[in-house]
Amino acid sequence: MGMNYITIEGRSRGYKILVSLLGAMVGLFITSFLVAYLKGQQVWGVSNIIPWGQLITFYIYFIGLSAGAIIISSLSYVFKREVYEPIGRLAVFMGILLMVGAMIFVMVDLGRPEKAWRLFMYFYLNNMSSLFAINSIFYTGYIALMLIYLWLIFEGKKRLAGVVGTADVLWAIAVHMGTGAIFGLIGNREIFFSPIKPFEFLMAALTSGTSLIILVAIATFKLTNRVISEELIFSLSRLLTHMILILLVMVFVDKLTHLYFPNREAIVYLFTGDYWWIFWVLQIGMGIGFPLFLLIFPKTKKSLKAVILAALSVVIGVFGERAALVLPGTSHPQPFFPGKIEGPWGEPGIFPITFWESLLSLSIISFVVLLFVLGLRYLEILPGGRGESLLGTRELSVQQRDS
Amino acid sequence: MPRWGMVIDLDKCVGCQACVIACKVENNVPHGSPEEQRLRREIYWHKMIAVTKGNFPHIRTEIIPMPCMQCDHAPCVTVCPAKATFRREDGIIMQYYRRCIGCKYCIVACPYGARSFNFKSQEIKPYHRHDEPLERKAWDPWPFPTRTHGVVEKCTFCFHRIDQGLKEGKKIGVEVVPACVEACPSNSRTFGDLDDPQSPISKLLSSRSSFRLREELATRPKVFYLSK
Repeated sequence: MGMNYITIEGRSRGYKILVSLLGAMVGLFITSFLVAYLKGQQVWGVSNIIPWGQLITFYIYFIGLSAGAIIISSLSYVFKREVYEPIGRLAVFMGILLMVGAMIFVMVDLGRPEKAWRLFMYFYLNNMSSLFAINSIFYTGYIALMLIYLWLIFEGKKRLAGVVGTADVLWAIAVHMGTGAIFGLIGNREIFFSPIKPFEFLMAALTSGTSLIILVAIATFKLTNRVISEELIFSLSRLLTHMILILLVMVFVDKLTHLYFPNREAIVYLFTGDYWWIFWVLQIGMGIGFPLFLLIFPKTKKSLKAVILAALSVVIGVFGERAALVLPGTSHPQPFFPGKIEGPWGEPGIFPITFWESLLSLSIISFVVLLFVLGLRYLEILPGGRGESLLGTRELSVQQRDS
Repeated sequence: MPRWGMVIDLDKCVGCQACVIACKVENNVPHGSPEEQRLRREIYWHKMIAVTKGNFPHIRTEIIPMPCMQCDHAPCVTVCPAKATFRREDGIIMQYYRRCIGCKYCIVACPYGARSFNFKSQEIKPYHRHDEPLERKAWDPWPFPTRTHGVVEKCTFCFHRIDQGLKEGKKIGVEVVPACVEACPSNSRTFGDLDDPQSPISKLLSSRSSFRLREELATRPKVFYLSK
């Protein structure tokens, strides 16, 4: 215990270039948002058949990453596992930023974002039976709790931080399960409709959050010439293995339930339709199969590079999992009437990747990364020790230049 | 309080799509370009679907007119976070553009594809409707034709006709009917009060077997079909 944290100096050339690049991307965010706001959502790929597209996919993805990060931070602050201490602050900070990103994503996806305040007029102007309205309670409380949590950590009030952290972890679970329920409770979309969806969302959140923390921790520690202990990474990767296994069971049970009974048209569309590759290649291949192989196979599970590769694969694969829910879930035509519906109403929808929507997504991600990079500069996020307090067996990089 | 409903007799329907045109004209629903139609961005309050059964040469195509089903247990009302979609006392599901935040949750939750999103600002066409009050304020909750992009819209059972007719003491379902019912050349549609056992619609429903679309979802639509 007693680890000290410092800010990074941010005087290096690379840091300045990174910040200005990200700043330019944020300028593009304003442009791409205004284009969609003034011209309407016709500039995006969404349609009346696939009303939710890229932005909603990123929104649930970011909420998952945030919830995963907060749950990982609890290992350090709630369960007091010392090995996780170097990444404790990082995880909480990432949780806040990713949630901010998710909120931007969902706000810009609204047709009339200037009316979003209606969501927060609880019981008065909003409809509390809507999961969006219920989730708006979850989200505001979540952001508030995370801010208090981080503040208590900065103040060094570890006991209180543990209490708030516990509440925050429970709240994060509720947040992400609530987000899963947005989809899971929609009874007319067979791919969405599932009681296990909130739990599946939670497990996907944990896997993607853990993987992102592995990647971000290694990247930031490496770029700022800090030392990260392999023990920390490998203990996270062991956790990741178990989470992926649980996720696999949940996905299997969910799909089996839909596949078993003869009304399996929608799920067969998911498996073999236009978006089969999102499901099989991204969700199952990159999100579950490939990383599971890397993390279980005895030769690769002890290799740091393989763990990084597995984490990267999970981060991409869980994005695919979100996309495999949002896009095929609505693009499968609804059976309005028994028989084969001819013409446009019976054909599955196609979601084109459009320039402005992709630019908007990219620039929101850049904004979150910019906040992260600036946060490292002005907040005491990273451990400042020269490796002596970091429990390490073998070390990644021994160089200590400007930390 | 009446509970408005509609019966569509598929045996009488000739599939001329006059109801679709009448709806577009009556409610100033924008016409989409072929490009928008291809991208599925055209706004329909009332659509027609063609359903085929069997294989060539033993094949049959049925034309099914689909207005909003005005469900008694409407999923769109449940999921709307902003109270923009609500059920009037007479059972009509309304969309209030000024409240709509454009989250599109209702489009996802609608089992009948009855809702459309405004993907662009629609041009305001020269358009006059004699039954529409001149005062802007009196349109409430009806800000049209100033609909903006970014809101969802849907069929209203031509509530303005019903309200006007009730004010003038006319018989709804006989003298005053929605535009699609009025335009139907084969009289395949009947409109009226489902709760009044003496209304023509109730008599029709009690005399013939009827069905509703996707009844397994228990949304209890108020649009009934009489089969061929």
